[in-house]
Amino acid sequence: MDNKERKVMLRLENIAKSFYARHEVFDAVSDVSIDVYENEFLTILGPGQCGKSVLLNIIAGLEKPTKGTVDFPASSDTTMGFVFQKTAVFPWKTVMENVELGLQIKGTNKKERREKAQYLIELVGLKGFENAYPYQLSGGMKQRVGIARAYCVNPDILLMDEPFGALDAQTRYQMEEEVLRIWQAEKRTVIFVTNNIEEALFLGDRIVLLSACPAKVKEIYIPRLERPRNNIDPDFLALREEIEANTDLAL
Amino acid sequence: MNAKTSKLRDLALSVVSILCLISLWLVLSSSRPDFFPTPQMTWERFIELIEYPVSKVSILGHIWASLRRVVIAFCYAVVLGISLGIAMGWNKKIRAAVEPIFESLRPIPPIAWIPLVILWFGVGEFPKILLVFIGSFIPIVLNTMTGVALVDPMYLSVSRVFKANTLQTMIHVVLPASIPAIFAGMKASLSSGWMVVVAAEMIASKSGVGFLITRGSESYDVALILCGMILIGIVGALLGVVLTLLERWLCPWTTKKEK
Amino acid sequence: MANEKPSSAVHNAAAVSESIRIENQNRAREKRQLFLISLTSVVICLLIWEIAVRTALINPKYLSAPSQVFQSFITKFYDPKPDGAILPVHFISSLYLALVGYFAAVIIGIPLGLVMGYSKVFYKLINPVFEIVRPIPPIAWIPLSVIWLGIGTTAKGFIIFLAAFVPCVINAYTGVHQTNPTLINVAKTCGANDWQIFTTVCIPSALPLTFTGLRVALGNSWSTLVAAELLSAKAGLGYMIQQGRSLVRPDIIIVGMLSIGITGALLSACLSRVEKKFVKGRNAR
Repeated sequence: MDNKERKVMLRLENIAKSFYARHEVFDAVSDVSIDVYENEFLTILGPGQCGKSVLLNIIAGLEKPTKGTVDFPASSDTTMGFVFQKTAVFPWKTVMENVELGLQIKGTNKKERREKAQYLIELVGLKGFENAYPYQLSGGMKQRVGIARAYCVNPDILLMDEPFGALDAQTRYQMEEEVLRIWQAEKRTVIFVTNNIEEALFLGDRIVLLSACPAKVKEIYIPRLERPRNNIDPDFLALREEIEANTDLAL
Repeated sequence: MNAKTSKLRDLALSVVSILCLISLWLVLSSSRPDFFPTPQMTWERFIELIEYPVSKVSILGHIWASLRRVVIAFCYAVVLGISLGIAMGWNKKIRAAVEPIFESLRPIPPIAWIPLVILWFGVGEFPKILLVFIGSFIPIVLNTMTGVALVDPMYLSVSRVFKANTLQTMIHVVLPASIPAIFAGMKASLSSGWMVVVAAEMIASKSGVGFLITRGSESYDVALILCGMILIGIVGALLGVVLTLLERWLCPWTTKKEK
Repeated sequence: MANEKPSSAVHNAAAVSESIRIENQNRAREKRQLFLISLTSVVICLLIWEIAVRTALINPKYLSAPSQVFQSFITKFYDPKPDGAILPVHFISSLYLALVGYFAAVIIGIPLGLVMGYSKVFYKLINPVFEIVRPIPPIAWIPLSVIWLGIGTTAKGFIIFLAAFVPCVINAYTGVHQTNPTLINVAKTCGANDWQIFTTVCIPSALPLTFTGLRVALGNSWSTLVAAELLSAKAGLGYMIQQGRSLVRPDIIIVGMLSIGITGALLSACLSRVEKKFVKGRNAR
C-alpha cells in the first residue's frame, strides 16, 4: 500500500484543544497531526478518559480546536456521519424514523428516504424491526440503528466514538464483526475511536496510538494481517503485546 | 410469606382500613346527625341531587360548569405556557428578560388573585377562567423550561451533526425529549387549576361544584356539603387519570423501562 | 511511519494565565449582559404600569400605580384604616395561623410517613384512607370544618393542617420506599436490626424527598391560609385583600398580594437554608 497515491480525505495539522474552567485549564489534546485516506478503517486508540472523543468532536465540527487546522482536501463539502458513545438513538422515534432522520432534515422526499433507510436497516440486520421503539431493543441492536442512521446521509467520512463501550463482551465481539461486514458492503472512510487494544487491532487498517492527556500521537501501527483477523493468532498477539507495552496508563 | 398470601394480606388490610373509616363515620354521625350526616343520609342526598336541580342547575350541569372553566383555561395555559417555557429554556436572553417578572409573581398563590380579578371583571365566566389560567400557567412554564434546559446534550449533538436548523431541532429533539417534564407540569397545573376553580366557585359563583358546597353551607344542608366534597374529589382524581392516560397514549416510549 | 512532529512547548505559564483571564472576562461580560436585560425588563414593566394608570389608560378604580402601591404599603404600617388593622398585625395573624397548622402537620405527618414507608403492613392499612382524602382540595373542607369547629381559628388551623399533612406523609413514605436496597443489604450484613436499619439507612436516604415534601407543604399551608381567610376571617392578609376589594381600594389589594408573596418567598428561603444544613454531602442534580 503506497499511501502517497491514495486520496486524503481528512488532514489534521497540529490540533490542540484546551478547556478553561474558572481558575484552571485542562489540556485535552496537545499536538495531533494525522492524514486519513479514502475508504480506510482508521482506529484511534488511547487510554482512559481523554482527548479521543474531543478529537472526534473537532473533526465533526462539534467543537473548535484551540490551535491547528482541520482540512478536507478531497472535496469542499464533506458529509460526515457520527455514531455516538452511549446510545444516542432517539427514544421517541421508531427505528425507521431514527434512521431516516438525516435525510428528513436535509429535505429528501419521503419515498426516497424510506427506501434508503429500509436498505440500511436490512443491511445492519434489523429487518422486521422498522416500527419498533428503542426501548424494545437490546444495546447491540440500538447501536446498529445508530450505525444505520449515520450511514443514511451517505457520508464521506464515518466517525464512531467508542460505540461498543457500553455493551457486554459477547455483544461487543459480535458487533465488531458486524461493523466490519457492514463496512465491507458499504465502503466508506471510517474513523473509529476505542480504548480497547483488541478491538483496535481487530478492526483497523491503521491504528493511531494516542498518549494519555494531553493527547499526542505516539505511534501509528499498520497491522499486516489478513481479514478476518483472529485474535488468538500469534502475529495478532505479538502486535497486541507491542502496542500494550507502548500504551500509557490513565489513572 | 409467598406472593399469593402477601397479596391476600394486602387486600385484607385495605378492606380493614376502609371498614374502620366507615365505622368511624357511622359512630360520629349517629351521635350528631345534624353535624354529620350518616352514610345513608349522604347517599340519599346524592340521589336527590341527581333528580333535583340545585339553584336551577342539575348536578351534571354543575359538574360541566366547573369542568368547562378548567378545560378552557387549561388549554390556553398549555399552549401559551409550553411556548413560553420552550423559549425561556432555549434562549438565555429571553429567560433573563422574563424570569424576574415571573419570579416576583410566582410566590403569590393563585387564590390571592381572586379579589383583584373579581374587582376587574366581576363574577362572570371570564374572571373564573382567568383565575384558573393564572393558577395553571406557572407550573407549565417552569416545568417546560426545566425540561428544555435538561435535554441530554448528546441528542443536541446528533442534530448538529446532521446540520439541522433551530426549528428542526425543536421538532425532532427538544420537544419530544422534554415531554416527560411537560406532562409533569401539566399534571401539577391541572390539579392546581382544579383547586382554584373550586375556590373561585366557593367565593363567587352561581354554578359549579364549589358552589354546591357554599349552597350547602348557607342552607345548613351538611349532606349537600359532603356530596359536593366527594364529587370534587372524584372529578379531580379523574382529571389526573385522564392526563396519565393521555401521556401513555401520546408517548408510548416514556413509561416503559429499558430492557 | 508516524506523522509525529517534535512537540514544542505549546503552553507556557504566561500564555495560559492570559487565556484564563480572557475566558473569565468573556464569562463576566455575558453575565453582565443578561443582568442588564433583566433589569431593563423590570424597569420597563414598572414604567408602563405607572404611566398606564397615571394617564387613566387603565381606570384607577381597577389598578393602582406602583408609586401609589408603595405609598399605601408604607401607610399601612401605621394606619389601621380602612380595613381595621395595620399591616404587621395582619401579617402576624396570618403567619401565626399558618405556622401552627404547618408544624402540627409536620410533627405528626413526617414520622407517620416514615413509618408507613418502612412497614408495609402499616402502609396498606393507612393508605386507602389517604387516597380517599387526598383528591379533595383543602379549601373544600372549609364549610364542613366551620360547622364542626365554629368560625374561628381552630377551623382554619385544621384546614391548614390538612393541606400540609398530605405532602408531608406522601413524600416521607416515598422517600423511604426508594431507599437503595443495596444499602439496606449492607446494613443487614453488618448485623443491624430493623430499628437500626430504619434510623441509620432509611431515614437519611429519605431526607431529600422529605424536604421536598416540607417545601410543598409550606407552600400549601400558606396558600390555603390565604384561601381560608378570603372565605371567613376578621384579620390577616387574606382578610385584608378581601376588604380591599369591597372598599374598591386596589392599592390595598396589591399591597396585600405582595405581602403574601414576599412572606411566602421568605418562608421558602428559610426552609432552603435549613435543608442545606441537614442534607449535607448530596450532589444537587
